[in-house]
Amino acid sequence: MAMSQSLVLVTSRRWRRLDAAGIACLGFVLLMVLLILFGPQIAPRSALAFDPLHSLEGPSPAFPFGTDEFGRDIFSRIIAGTRPTLLVALAAAALGVLLGTSTGLVAGYVGGAVDEAVMRVMDTLMSFPGLILAMLVVVMLGPDAMNVVIAIALVFWPRSARLVRSVVLDLATREFIDAARSRGETRLFILARELLPNVLMIIVVDFSLRVTAAILLSASLAYLGIGVTPPTPAWGLMVRDGQQFIELAWWLPVFPSLAIAVVSIGTLLVGERLRRSVATPGGGRPR
Amino acid sequence: MNAEPMLAMSPEPATLDVTGLSITYGAGPQGLKAVRDVSFRIAPGEAYGLIGESGSGKSTIAYAVLRHVPAGTVSGRILLNGQDVMAMSPQTLAGIRGRVVSMIYQDPMSALNPAIRVGEQIAEVIRQHRRGDRASAWARSVALLGQVQLPLPAEIAHRYPHQLSGGQQQRVVIAMALACDPELLVMDEPTTGLDVTTEAVILDLINDLRHALGVAVLFISHNMGVVAQVCDRVGVLYAGQLVEEGSTAQVLRAPRHPYTIGLMNALPTIDRAADRLVDIPGRLPDLRVVPPGCVFAPRCAAVQDICHAVMPTLEPVGTGHDSRCHERDRLERLLPAVAPATASDAPLPAKADGGRPLLQIVGIERSFGRAPMLALPFLRRRTPVRAVDDVTLDIAPGQTLAVVGESGSGKSTLARCVAGLLRPDRGDIRLENQVLSPLVQQRTRPQQRALQFIFQNPDAALNPHWTVERIVGRPLQLYGGIARGAALRARVVALLEATKLGERYLERYPHEMSGGEKQRVSIARAFAGDPRLVVCDEPTSALDISVQAAILNQLRDLQQRHGTSYLFISHDLGVVRHIAHRVAIMRHGRIVEAGTPAQVFGAPQHPYTQALIAAIPTLEPKRLRDGTAGRLRTADGMIDA
Repeated sequence: MAMSQSLVLVTSRRWRRLDAAGIACLGFVLLMVLLILFGPQIAPRSALAFDPLHSLEGPSPAFPFGTDEFGRDIFSRIIAGTRPTLLVALAAAALGVLLGTSTGLVAGYVGGAVDEAVMRVMDTLMSFPGLILAMLVVVMLGPDAMNVVIAIALVFWPRSARLVRSVVLDLATREFIDAARSRGETRLFILARELLPNVLMIIVVDFSLRVTAAILLSASLAYLGIGVTPPTPAWGLMVRDGQQFIELAWWLPVFPSLAIAVVSIGTLLVGERLRRSVATPGGGRPR
Repeated sequence: MNAEPMLAMSPEPATLDVTGLSITYGAGPQGLKAVRDVSFRIAPGEAYGLIGESGSGKSTIAYAVLRHVPAGTVSGRILLNGQDVMAMSPQTLAGIRGRVVSMIYQDPMSALNPAIRVGEQIAEVIRQHRRGDRASAWARSVALLGQVQLPLPAEIAHRYPHQLSGGQQQRVVIAMALACDPELLVMDEPTTGLDVTTEAVILDLINDLRHALGVAVLFISHNMGVVAQVCDRVGVLYAGQLVEEGSTAQVLRAPRHPYTIGLMNALPTIDRAADRLVDIPGRLPDLRVVPPGCVFAPRCAAVQDICHAVMPTLEPVGTGHDSRCHERDRLERLLPAVAPATASDAPLPAKADGGRPLLQIVGIERSFGRAPMLALPFLRRRTPVRAVDDVTLDIAPGQTLAVVGESGSGKSTLARCVAGLLRPDRGDIRLENQVLSPLVQQRTRPQQRALQFIFQNPDAALNPHWTVERIVGRPLQLYGGIARGAALRARVVALLEATKLGERYLERYPHEMSGGEKQRVSIARAFAGDPRLVVCDEPTSALDISVQAAILNQLRDLQQRHGTSYLFISHDLGVVRHIAHRVAIMRHGRIVEAGTPAQVFGAPQHPYTQALIAAIPTLEPKRLRDGTAGRLRTADGMIDA
C-alpha cells in the first residue's frame, strides 16, 4: 500500500510543484517502504538473538536505544519491527476503507431499502467499542496476523461507510449523475466512473487517518496479549513487555512508543499533503 | 414621476456620492482590479440602478457603500450624507448601518434567521438602534410589516421565516431594512430569486415605498427590465468600469455605448419574436492585467485602432447622459441599431413541419409524498402533492415545444418523466408511436440515444473529475461504438467545433471553463449521440444575458442542421418567444393554455397567462398596473397554509 501511495505521489500529473513539504513526505514514504522491505537486513544487530551480558543497558553508542531484559538491541528491534507493525496497519486500513467505500457508495447511491438495511448492519457493528469488537474477532478467529487485520478492518468498516455514504448522498443529487442515468449508463459504471473519482479525496484522507488508528489499535491488541505473539518485534508488543520494567529501564517502553508516534504523525502529514494535491481536479493549472 | 431633471443641476448634497472608487483584491501588480475609478451620485429620494453582468463589480460596489470589503483594498471616496464612509470609526459605522443606509439581499431565506420569529427579528433591529422598550419595538415592527403590505401583520409577526412564501420573506427583509428610517436602501438583486409575478408585486412595493418615504435607492441588477421599472437613472458597469450613465430612458432606449447596445440586442423579449438574438462574442478580460485601451475593445463590434491604445473617458453625449467610447458619436454608422420593438409574427423556420408527432406525452401524472401504507405511530400521514396532473402534449419533428411555468408548476418534473429519470404514476411517453419504458435504464439503446438532456446548472451537469474529451466522448463510446483513439478524438473535436469550442478544450476540466463554455460542452454531449429530441431544462437561466443569447442561437442552429426536436423548459417568456414553435403554459401541474407563440403571447386566453405576460418587467418606464396586477397582489398576499 505504501508503494502505491508513493506511486500516486510521483506519477500524478497533479503533483506539479515538489516543494519542501512534498520532498519530506516523499522521503518519509520511501523510508517506510525501505524499512518494511529490508528492515531485518538494515538493523545493525539481530532483533531476536539473546545477549545476557548486555541485558537492560541504557542508551549508549553501541546500543542507541538501550537493550531489553534479554539483552536484545531495542534500536534493531524497532527497525525490524516496522514490517510486522506497518504491514498489519496498512493492510487493515486498506481493507477497512475498501469495504467502507464500496458499502458507502452502494448504500448512498442506491438508497431506499438497500441503504436502510446496510446502514443498520453498520450501526450494529458501530455500537461495539472498537477495541472490544477487535478483541472478540481475534479471540474467535485465533491469534494470527491475518485475523488481526480482519478484526481491525471490521472496526473501520462502518466508520468509513458512513463517511463515504454522506458524500455520495450529496453527489447523487447532482445533475451529472442524472446526465449519466439519462444516457443509459449502468449502475456499476456510475458508481465506479462517475462517483468514485469524486470521493477519492475523502478516501485518501480517511485511509491516512485509519493507518494511524490501526497502528494504535494493533498495539493495543498486542498490549492485551491478543494477536501477534512474542518474540515478534511488533512495536505494540514491545511497549507492553517493556512497561513492567519502566522503573528499572524507561527506554524499554519509551522508544517503541516514540516510533509509533513518529509514524502516526508522518502518515497524517502525507495524507494531508495528498488531500491537497487531489483536492482540485487538474490541480488548478493556470488557464 | 421622473426625478431626473431635478437632480442634474441641483447643488444640494447627495445622499450618496461616490468619487473615483477603485477596489483591488490581492496585492501587487497581480491584484484583481475588480472596480476601477467609478464615480456616481444619488440625490435624496432618487433611485439609481447599476446594471452589469457577472464579474462586472456591481455587488462589490454595493458592499463598499456599507464599507464591507473584507479582502479588498479601497481607494477613492464614498460620502454618505456628506460623511466619508472610509474614514469612519467602527462605532460611527455601526450607527450608520441601518439608520442611514441599509441593505436588501438577493436571497431572503438566508438574510433571515430561521429560528427567530420575523416580528422579533425586526424588533431587534429597532431596539439596537433606538433603545426603546420591547412593547414599542414590537408595535413598530408590526406597523412596518403592514407598511410592506403584508396582510394581517400582527399575525405574520409571530411566524418563522419558513412559514412564509418567498415574496413574503422578501417583504419582511424590506421591512427590516426600513426599521430605522434609512435615507438610502442598497438592493442587491432583490427580485432575482422570485417568480415573475411575485417580482412584479415586489417592484410595485419598492416604488410605493420610495414615493411614500422619499428614500433613495441604489439598485443592483443584471435585469434591464427590472431596472427600468424602478430606477430614475442608470449606470452600466463593464469589467469594473462605468461605461455609460444617464436617465433610464436615455440609457435603455437610446444607448450610446457598444456594450449597452449589445446587451439590448441580446435581450430576449416577447415583443421581438423570431429575430435572431445578437450575442456579444468573447469573454470578460482578465482584470489582473488591465489593458491600456478600452476594456470592451476585444468584444466590440465597432472597434477602431485607437480603442486598443487609449482608454476612453466618460464624455457627455446628451444632458446628463455620458458614454465611455471613442466612437460614441459615430456608433449609429458602425453598429446595427437596436432592433425596433415591433411584433413580427413571422414563425420560426422549422425544418420539418406538421406530420406525425415525434414525441407524445399522454396523460402523464406524478405525485410526491405518498402516504405510508400502514397507519403506524411515528409515520406521518402526508397528503400527496400532484406535481404533474394529467398532462398531454405533442412535439412535432424538428420543432420546439416550450413548457413555461413558475417555480413549483411541475415543469421540471414533467421533463424528468419524459427523460425517464422519474417514473410517472400514470400515462405514457411515446416516441414515434412506440411506448417508452417509464425508466430510462429499461429503454433500448436506440431509444436512450434518441432522447438527450441539457441541464440547468452547468456547474453541476459535468463531472468535475472528467476532462471535456471524456465528457463529450462518452456518449460516442456508448452509442456509436467508437472505442477510443484518433477516431474518437476526431469526432469529439468535430462536436466541440460545432458548438464553437475548439480542440484546445479537450484537456480541460469543468472548473477551468466559464459558465457559457460549460453549457456548450453540455450541448456537445447531448448532440454526440445524434438525438431525435433534446430535453432542455432551463438551459440558460444560470447564464448572463450576452451568453444566453449565444446559447439560444446555438440551439437554433443545431436544430436547423440536424432537425432535432426540443422540449424546452423555461420560466422566461422572452426566451421562449425566441426559441419555441409551440408554447404550453403550466400551472399547479396542469397545462392551462397551449398554442403557437403568436397565439399565446398575442392573444392570451387564460387569466393566468395574461397575468404572467403583464408581470414581465419591460423596458417601458414604470406603468400603472391594471386589474391584473391587483389580482396578483392578492394572490401573493394570501397567507400560505
